[in-house]
Parts: sequence; C-alpha cells; structure tokens
Amino acid sequence: MKLWTAALPAIAALAFCAGTAVAQTQTDQSHTDHQPKPGVIAAPEADPNNQTQLQNSPKGQRMPGNKEAYLYIGWPNNGEVVNSRFKVWFGLRNFGVAPAGVRKEKTGHHHLLVDTDLKNLDEPIPTDKNHLHFGKGQTETYLELPPGRHTLQLVLADDEHIPHDPPIMSKKITITVRPEKAGAQISSR
Amino acid sequence: MRRTVAFVVGAVLLVPMQALAEREKAPDGSRAYIMWPSDGAVIPGGKLWVRMGLQNVGVAPAGTRKEGTGHHHLLVNSELANMEEPIPNNKNHLHFGGGQTEVRLELPPGRHTLQMVLGDAEHVPHDPPIMSKKITVVVP
Repeated sequence: MKLWTAALPAIAALAFCAGTAVAQTQTDQSHTDHQPKPGVIAAPEADPNNQTQLQNSPKGQRMPGNKEAYLYIGWPNNGEVVNSRFKVWFGLRNFGVAPAGVRKEKTGHHHLLVDTDLKNLDEPIPTDKNHLHFGKGQTETYLELPPGRHTLQLVLADDEHIPHDPPIMSKKITITVRPEKAGAQISSR
Repeated sequence: MRRTVAFVVGAVLLVPMQALAEREKAPDGSRAYIMWPSDGAVIPGGKLWVRMGLQNVGVAPAGTRKEGTGHHHLLVNSELANMEEPIPNNKNHLHFGGGQTEVRLELPPGRHTLQMVLGDAEHVPHDPPIMSKKITVVVP
C-alpha cells in the first residue's frame, strides 16, 4: 500500500509529460494547417497522397504570386551541351519552397517541364514524364534524357499543384544532350 | 522520502527522452552545400546572392513538420556551438523560415565565412546535422 502511494507521483509525472508531448504534436500540426486568407475560401485539408481530394477542390483559388519572385534554372545554362545524365538546379528568389500539401503564402513547390509547355494555368499541373513534380520540396534533381535537343522550364505551383496568379515560371531553356560516344571524349564543365 | 525519490526518478527518466525525440532524423544521403559563391571567391562591392543547395532532402517552411524536410539557416562569421538547441536568430545566424533557397547579402570589406545548416520545424538541426562546408569569401 505504501509502495503504491509512493509510485503515484511518478505515474502522475508520466501522464503529465505524455500530455505535454501530445499537446506539442498538435501544435506542430496546426502550423501546417491552411491559413485562410481574406477573400479566399479555405481549401479542404490537403493530403498529398489523396489525388481525388485535390482534384475536387473548387477552381478560382489560385494563390497570389509575387511580382518580385524570380524563378530560373541555375544549371544548366541555356544552350548548354550536357551528358545524358545531368543535374538541374532550381533557382528561386523572393519566394519560398514548401512541400506539396502545405499551404503557406509566398511558397510553392517546383515542377519541371521537359519538352513541353503548360497549357492550362488554372488546373493542377499533370504528372507524367514531361511534367516532373518535386512535392517533397526538392530544389534540384538529376535528369536522364536521350541524345538531342530538349527544352526545360520550371513552374512553381501551390499546395495543390496549381500555378500562382500571376504564374511564377522560368525562362524556357534549350539544351543538347550529346551522343553517348562523344560523352567520354568531351569533358563537361 | 520514498515518494520524492519516485517522483525525481520519473522526471529524470522522461526529460531526456523527450529532448532526444525532438531532433529529426537526417534522410540517407542528404547533403547541404553552398552552390554560390565558391570557396575563396572575391566579391567586389560585397553584394552577392548566396545560393543554397540541398541533395536528397527537401525544403519546408519553419513550423512545418514533415519527414525529409527542413529550412535553411546561414551562419555568417559564426559557428554552431550546440546542435541540440534551436539555432539562434541574429545577424550571424540568418533564418529562412519562409522556405527561401537564396539570400542577398551585403558584406563589409574583409574576410567572411559562410556555412549553411538545415533546421527542422523548430529550428533544431537534424541528427546527424545537415551542414555545408564552411566557405570563406573576400570583400576587397
């Protein structure tokens, strides 16, 4: 009996600490919640893994862009000749990166258009081999392309993969992937 | 007496467990680097954009807890002494809680060191820390 009463405070301490931990987790999650902006209807809780939910979100909710925002391909340069596997570095100024599903003003995540144009700026960017998504907040990637000329363009999009308004897009660059044989002879920069 | 002992033991056991659990695990192969400027670069005028590079880990704004992400911090003429605590916020420890990946700096003449550290939702470095090499730039 005496032992039991002695253990009570320890149990109480346990419960208290566990409670604090739970409270902390909840606060953390609240940070990722959508912050409703004036004049904008709060979008439903976006689950990056739930595509149907994303598609069901009403239109006309494009997040505001920023005239100062500058998106560019930091590497390769326009006109560069590269090996079939090469690095692409995403440059972004006066704006931030957030993973897909995280709605936060002045942020978005990168999309790389390979040999294609973006036709519709009001809809989520498609996902296929010409439209690469970087929903984990990546800021660079490695590409592997067949020899020949290719175009690359970056587009920033919001938590639901919809471009900002006005859209934040890089200049479209053209690169040339050298044939495999030549790759061994010409050193890359 | 026994009651006090039990309370103290309970508290002592729990506190470090909580502290340890707070540091996010660094993803495999994650690496931070300063893409520009290069080490030893001479910057006439002292105005430059610093490009912060990340491999195998993503960017998320401060306050967003998501596995495999963090946000940039730039140490200017400074070193990070304690990896267990949030990175301080002052002119030697710049925070990029908005998910920025580049920063415009204006440095006075002299030698300056720059080093990048990724911090989690609460500005605490990952475990192990995702830090760039410390570079030096010279403003003539």
